[in-house]
Formats: sequence, C-alpha cells, structure tokens
Amino acid sequence: MTEPQDVTTEAQDTAAEAAPTAAEAPAAPTAAEAQAAATAAEAPTTDDASPARADAHDYPETGAHDEPGDLQGVARQLLAEAKVDVVIGWEDGRRGARPVFITEADDADRLIFDTRCVHDLVSYLNPRRTQVAALGRVAVVVKGCDAKAVAGLLREGQVKRDEVVLIGVRCGGVLEVADLPEAVALTADNVSPRCFRCDNREPSLVDYLVGDPQDEPPRPPATVDERVAALDALPVEERWEFWAEQFSSCVRCYACRQVCPLCVCERCVADKSVPQWIETASHPRGNLSWNLTRALHLAGRCVECGECERVCPAGLPLTLLNRKLAQVLRERFAYVATDDPEVPAPVGDYRLDDAEEFIR
Amino acid sequence: MSATPETDAAPGAEILFLAEGELAGLVADLATAAVEVVGPAATEPASPAAAAADVLHGRPELEYRTLAPGVAPLLAPGMPRLSLKGFFLPQTEALFAWRQHGTEIEIERGEASARRRVALGVKPCDAAALEIVDHVMNWDFADQPWNERRVATTVFTLACPVEDGSCFCTAVGLAPDGTRGADGLFTPVEGGWLVEPSTEKGAAFVAEHAARFATASAALVDEGAEARRAANERVAGHLEIDAESVREWIAGHFDDPLLAGLGVRCHGCGTCASVCPTCHCFDIVDETDGVGKGTRRRSWDTCQTGKFTLHASGHNPRNDQNARFRQRLNHKFSIYPLRFGEVLCTGCGRCSRECHAGQDLVEMLAAIDVAARRPAAVGAETESGGPA
Repeated sequence: MTEPQDVTTEAQDTAAEAAPTAAEAPAAPTAAEAQAAATAAEAPTTDDASPARADAHDYPETGAHDEPGDLQGVARQLLAEAKVDVVIGWEDGRRGARPVFITEADDADRLIFDTRCVHDLVSYLNPRRTQVAALGRVAVVVKGCDAKAVAGLLREGQVKRDEVVLIGVRCGGVLEVADLPEAVALTADNVSPRCFRCDNREPSLVDYLVGDPQDEPPRPPATVDERVAALDALPVEERWEFWAEQFSSCVRCYACRQVCPLCVCERCVADKSVPQWIETASHPRGNLSWNLTRALHLAGRCVECGECERVCPAGLPLTLLNRKLAQVLRERFAYVATDDPEVPAPVGDYRLDDAEEFIR
Repeated sequence: MSATPETDAAPGAEILFLAEGELAGLVADLATAAVEVVGPAATEPASPAAAAADVLHGRPELEYRTLAPGVAPLLAPGMPRLSLKGFFLPQTEALFAWRQHGTEIEIERGEASARRRVALGVKPCDAAALEIVDHVMNWDFADQPWNERRVATTVFTLACPVEDGSCFCTAVGLAPDGTRGADGLFTPVEGGWLVEPSTEKGAAFVAEHAARFATASAALVDEGAEARRAANERVAGHLEIDAESVREWIAGHFDDPLLAGLGVRCHGCGTCASVCPTCHCFDIVDETDGVGKGTRRRSWDTCQTGKFTLHASGHNPRNDQNARFRQRLNHKFSIYPLRFGEVLCTGCGRCSRECHAGQDLVEMLAAIDVAARRPAAVGAETESGGPA
C-alpha cells in the first residue's frame, strides 16, 4: 500500500483508546500473493470463486466498533480535532438514505450506515469534483466495494493516500434502492444482486473500521453470473440483438459516467467534438459507441459497485456487461478487483520485461 | 399558442361517463380511425432474451408508450418514470438531412411528425408542462416540430390520487385533477371514469366517439368530486411556497450560501433534467454521413453537465456542480417566471424521486421559501452552516 502506516498512525492518534497500529498489525498481503491467490481460484465464474485474497481479514483493524470507534464517534473526533474538514457519509433524508457532507463535529450524529447505504461515495473523491475539493480535507465512509474504488484511484494517481481518511464499514450487502423510510433486512428478493459472494465485506484499505461483522449477503433468485451465462448461451446474433435492443433505450444522459467512481477523465471522449468520436444522438450507432466505449474503458478498472446500473434512468442492465468484463479479466489476466492498491490492474500497468514486443 | 385553446373555458358542462368495458371499444374505434394512442403501460421485458437476463428483475414500472392499435392504456395510479415530453420533444430527432451536389445543396426535412394522436391517462403535471413549455417554444422562434405535435395531439389527463410525498403540484399553482395543457379530464369512479372535456378539441373528441360515453349519474359525479377534493387536500400538505417571493429571493441572492451550496452531493448526471416534464434544452449536432451529406439532429441536453457551458477557450463560467445546480433552480423559479410569468416546474416530484444522490427539490424550495419570507435584514447574512 502507498504509505498507509503514516496515515493510519496519524488517524489513530485521534482515537482515545487506540487499537493496534498498522505497524504492529500483520502485514498486508503483497501484490504477488494476491495475484497468486487470484490465479489459484480456478472456478469459471466469479459467483463460484473464492475471494482473491484468502487472508482478507489480516489487516490493521484500527477503530474496532467500540467507542470511539463507531461511525459517528470516529467522525466526531476527526472533525473536533480538525484532522479533516468534512466527513462524507450517509444520512437519513426525506426520501431515505443519501450522501451527506458533515462539516461540524456536532452534526456527526446524523451519520448512518445500514442496508440502504447503496451509494459509492468514492465518486466524490474525483479531483474533478471541485465543489467537494473546496470543502478541504476529506474523510469518506467506504464499504468493501467502495474501498476497491479508492484503490483504483490510488493506482491511477487520482488521489494521494495521505490526503484522505478512510472510514471502513463492515457490510453484509445492500438493498437495490436507497429510498426507503427505514432500513430493512436483506432478503433474496430485495438484495442488490451484485452483492452475492462479495469478497470484501471488511474493507482493508481503511484507517478505521467500524460496525459488527456481517453475514454473507443472501443469494438472489437469479445471480448476476447466471444471468450472464443465460446470455452467453445464446447464439451470437441473438446476443447482439439483445444488447442492441437494450442500448436502444439509452437516453445518453451519461448518468452512468457521472456517478462512476473510476470515470475520472479530465474530458470524456463522449464530450469531445473535434472530431466527434461518439455521436451525441441516441440512435443505435451513437448509443452503441457510447455504451461499448464506457464498458471497455472500465475493463480492469470497474469494481462492480453497481452505481451505473442503479442510476440509469433507462434501466440498462449494465451490471451484466461489467460482470462479463470481470469474468474475462479473471480468465485472461487472473485479475480480480481488490482494495489493495499495490495489486496492479491489467490495463494501466506495464512492465519493462513484458513478453509482448509492442508494449516495451 | 393559438393552436392550443385556453383550457379554462369548458365548452360543455355535462359530465360524461366511460364504463370500464367501453375503454377497449374506444381504443378499437381509434385504431379503426388510424389515430395513435399514447398512454401509460407496464414496462415489460422487450424480448425473450431480456426476460432470460432478468433485466427488470421483477420490478414492473409504468411508462408512457405509443400503444399498439387496439391496446388500452393502463388507467391506474402510478407515475411513469419519464414524463410525456418525449412525445413532443423526442430525446433525439432529425431536423433535416442535406446532400451536396456540386454547388447545390439539397435539404430534406426531418421525419413527418403530425400524425393524429390522443394521449389518454396523462398525469396532470405532465400535461401542464406542455402548456408551460409552449411559451419558450414560441418565443423568439416558433418551434415547428413541437407545435405540429401539439396540434396533432389530443390530451386527456387522469385525476391523480397523489403518488407520494414528493408530489407538490399545488405549490406551483396546479392541481392533481388539473386540465392545463390538456383537452379534458378522466376521473376514476366505481366501474369506469367520469369524462370532462375542457377544450373544443376535447369536446370534438368526445362527440366523435359519443357512442362510447354515457351521461354520468349524480352519485358518480359526487364520488369523483370527493376523490378530487381529497387528493387536492393531500398534496397541499406536502409543500406550500409563495412563488413570487421565491422568485424575488432567488434573483437577489445569487451568492447566498443557501443557493450557492446546493450542488455538493450532485453528480451532475442530469437525470433530473431527463425525467423533468419542463426541462426542454437541446443540443444540435450535424452528423456527417460520408462526404457531402449528413443529418442535423437535436438531442436533449442539460445544464447539469460541465459541457453545457464549456467555452471553446476552455473557460467554463459554471465551473462546478454548485454553480450548475444553482442554475437549475434559478432558471426554473426565477428566470423563466420573469420572462414568461410562471415557474418552469409542475411539482411532479420526479427530480427528487429519481435523484440517486438524494437531491431534494421539496426540501430546497421549503428552505428558500422560509428565507424569502424572513425579514430582509436577516437574509444573506445568516450563518451558512454545513453545505448539505
């Protein structure tokens, strides 16, 4: 990890009764170990795969869930001691759980974490979000999938590890929707299908970890892998028809891009008009260009946080595309999205001794 | 606009009744007359492959659709995710195609759009939006495709029971049983619907299909009136603002922390604009198709993206989401009313309902209304508090 110990230790000092520091804790798995673990997983689909990091729980647990290690307590202390200027978390809004930006220690009580906290708040760390950057030094609450997104930003040099405080929450899956008046227990029918077989219920890339250990998320009636397999089983013409039909309802709002924690390009190719690489009109050609470009640019970067599908006003099943990419990445590169930023992503990493001529 | 008569003048006071069993017949008559029917329908997987991939994963939704001939609209409670505006301002449409022959340029107009249509079961907030947007579509330039579709379409609203706590039509001067922008109203009652045309166009429609309608009994009329009264009362409790004070306050508080800090959680995705019945901005692009020919298309655009105001120089006057979200409120509740005399919002609540980041227009308007009613001396100098 990129100098995690300084941050951990510094953040740790804010806790009255500090848990073991990063320096004392078992070392995080090395990149090589993690890759070996990923390679070792032979299962054909991610549903059936064991987690990439078998030792995912050996990480510096800094806050535990005892006072002041609870979410509100950690946030209150970080703000009271001016370690950060804002804590980005979730609150109860009029229409259910929603992102909140807490700037005063006294407001830390507004923070919640429950099954409605579906949002990937890491999107707010995008350096292009200048209205967030203007708030000052940030702490952000992350679920396991969100922590993977932070790792992606670290790999790509979009954020610096010592410039953000990460409050990890133990997560046993989330609902498909956030707009419920109160949290409900997860069932097969209401759980977000992407949560099934989550391999990061306790994020490692954190400065604090709060909440109780969580059970595995329920199995949805049709898992994402089963749905992808159903499509894979179709003749290629029918699969083409399926996606052409799906993309035909795209309204080209780019909500999928805006909410994606890894869509951080200074200027998206879809917004470039000289030349117009991707046609703006929502006809089949333009829609296909956009949706394939989005998917492929996220290959090896997507952490399957599910935000793009959740926010799509046209209801496109983007999770199916994302999962297919993840399956190919696993098969071809033995890569599984992880919150260890030291594990190189297959796209975006290079080595001087690469076997391929063209890349050297 | 002149082609759309004022809706206030109801030509006939008689209240009609359409029995449930007659709806299919009415739709069949329309199919025979080659009149398109637009109305709410349950979203269905579009193909066996879509069903296999469980695209909807068990979540039926309502959407406005051009129904197949003879198919009846679903006249039931429920809010289609997208408003009706796409039937008048499609998400993308070809304005014209061109072809160059030497020095001559041949222009071919876009798709013919003036097919006769009737929209049944329209939410009153969606119908009202048409008349509100008519202002800008006929302001400095008469928008031909929009106007042709308006003239060609007869719209009947369906009295709304009020969908949820994000509805606030009464706060912006409308009603859940309104007929603004429409030609008449359907009110659900026992065994069918009360039908009240509110324009000559609506009356002509009813007259054309007179065989399907009966005269409503006094009991049914009372039942409908009671349901409408109750719905009005229900929605009025959700939000109450003084639109004129709000307009003045927004105009005078450009840099007030309340107005200038509303976009922190906003992702700038523009979903609010996509689902909004009154957002009408579009972008025009010439798409070339080889050499010497191409198509000029317009597509929905939104002030919530950075690209909307990006200058060729690279400068962007609205350079963060706070500035962009302020523009959204400013345009809807200050600029538009100043220019056209009414707010660019029908209180449908979709922007709050569909915002995946929890931006809440109801909450914002309530806060602005409080600030606007406060004595001027307090105004902008109150403590700013947190940004969200």
